[in-house]
Amino acid sequence: MLKGLLNEAIMKELMTTGATVVGFADVGEVLGPEIAHLRKAISIGVNKNLNDDTVKLLLALQKKAARCLRRDGHRYLCIPPDSDRIRGTFISRLYPLFTHKIAATSAGLGWIGRNGLLISPEYGPRLSLATVLTDAPLSTGSPIKFSLCGECKLCVEYCPSSAITGKDWSRDAPYVELVRTDHCSSYKKNTRAVNRKPNCGVCINICPYGRKGSMSGVLSLTA
Amino acid sequence: MVTEEKKQDILKRLRDAVVNYDEDAARQAAKEAVESGMDASDAIFSGLVSGMEEVGRLFEAQEYFVPELLMCADALYAGLDILKPHVKRLDLGVKGSVVIGTVEGDVHDIGKNIVKMMFDVAGFTVYDLGRDVPLDKFIEEQLRTDSDLVCLSAMMTTTMVGMKKVIDDLKARNPNVKIMIGGAPVSQDIAEKWGADGYAKDASNALKDAINMVSSLKKLKEEADAKRAAK
Repeated sequence: MLKGLLNEAIMKELMTTGATVVGFADVGEVLGPEIAHLRKAISIGVNKNLNDDTVKLLLALQKKAARCLRRDGHRYLCIPPDSDRIRGTFISRLYPLFTHKIAATSAGLGWIGRNGLLISPEYGPRLSLATVLTDAPLSTGSPIKFSLCGECKLCVEYCPSSAITGKDWSRDAPYVELVRTDHCSSYKKNTRAVNRKPNCGVCINICPYGRKGSMSGVLSLTA
Repeated sequence: MVTEEKKQDILKRLRDAVVNYDEDAARQAAKEAVESGMDASDAIFSGLVSGMEEVGRLFEAQEYFVPELLMCADALYAGLDILKPHVKRLDLGVKGSVVIGTVEGDVHDIGKNIVKMMFDVAGFTVYDLGRDVPLDKFIEEQLRTDSDLVCLSAMMTTTMVGMKKVIDDLKARNPNVKIMIGGAPVSQDIAEKWGADGYAKDASNALKDAINMVSSLKKLKEEADAKRAAK
């Protein structure tokens, strides 16, 4: 298939069956040696509260993308959503080699916010992600390299466990600590013990990007 | 009775499912194999294993890399899980139970899992202790299950030395037990020096060895079948 046509076929297939955003990225530079031959990534995002149905939808979308790639004779590796990784399969050992956020930012779907989550200009931090890696010659989007959070520090101020450091993300400095994960997880553990609510989510709900009836669409992205 | 044509079709699909790392197709073909009433061990060896042999060839030719290899192994298991309960006990003269695990301090178990797959396919009873296994646990488990074979795996030079202790203890308690060791830092030399009976280098070599062993099992099975037919 001609370059570009495969992109279009996959895009169409996924967008008509439940995906909120789909992006294509070249991630060759950041891959470990075991998966270095799968240079291109298809990043799939679904705008929904994370629950079992969301995970099922993402897995189904992945399979659809995989089927398109297989039909064209390409290799692929599906990295399932983070919440579906507790499986004792052979391939599950390789999942930690790759994070969905790398694919999403490289595809230009968004940047990493102060809260450490992918922020899409349209949907904010409300996307659940899955990735398909492949060796197909897909044409790819241009990566977003800097945070577009601006002066906004709502998530820093409202985080109940003061876990968010307030630093800015940039693609060139991947090891800057944005979120003190030990603070965040110990807080979540405590509240779960007290009021049985499984998660916190303040940094997601507070984010003005993609919040209903607010700033969404105010800032347009120049790619 | 299943027709020869139908049988060949199912075998081909089992084989292709493994080569194309398609778990769903493997499951589907395995189900049909069971429903058609064909011999389950035939479906495993001439279908799934034959596919894995092709995967081994593709891996050696560097057509396939580690991710494809692992996904193929997953597809093989998807089919195997369905076929296995229908296998009539194979009488190949190998009595099979094996204790396997990655030694204390080591969490690298891809190679170990591939070796485990070989034993599963061959119809052994496998006691998988997992990874980061305390050394005493190997000895306890061997005594408890009276297994013929113990397989130890390590990827780091620091954890590898634990294997010697296990070998010594096992041999002291039960001189008849066979011991296989494997992992990147292990060599044939070390295996001999420490008194291990077998050795596998790493995941890719483990796969090759696994395929060789399963292939020779397959040959044994064919010979047994031929003998039975001659009678």
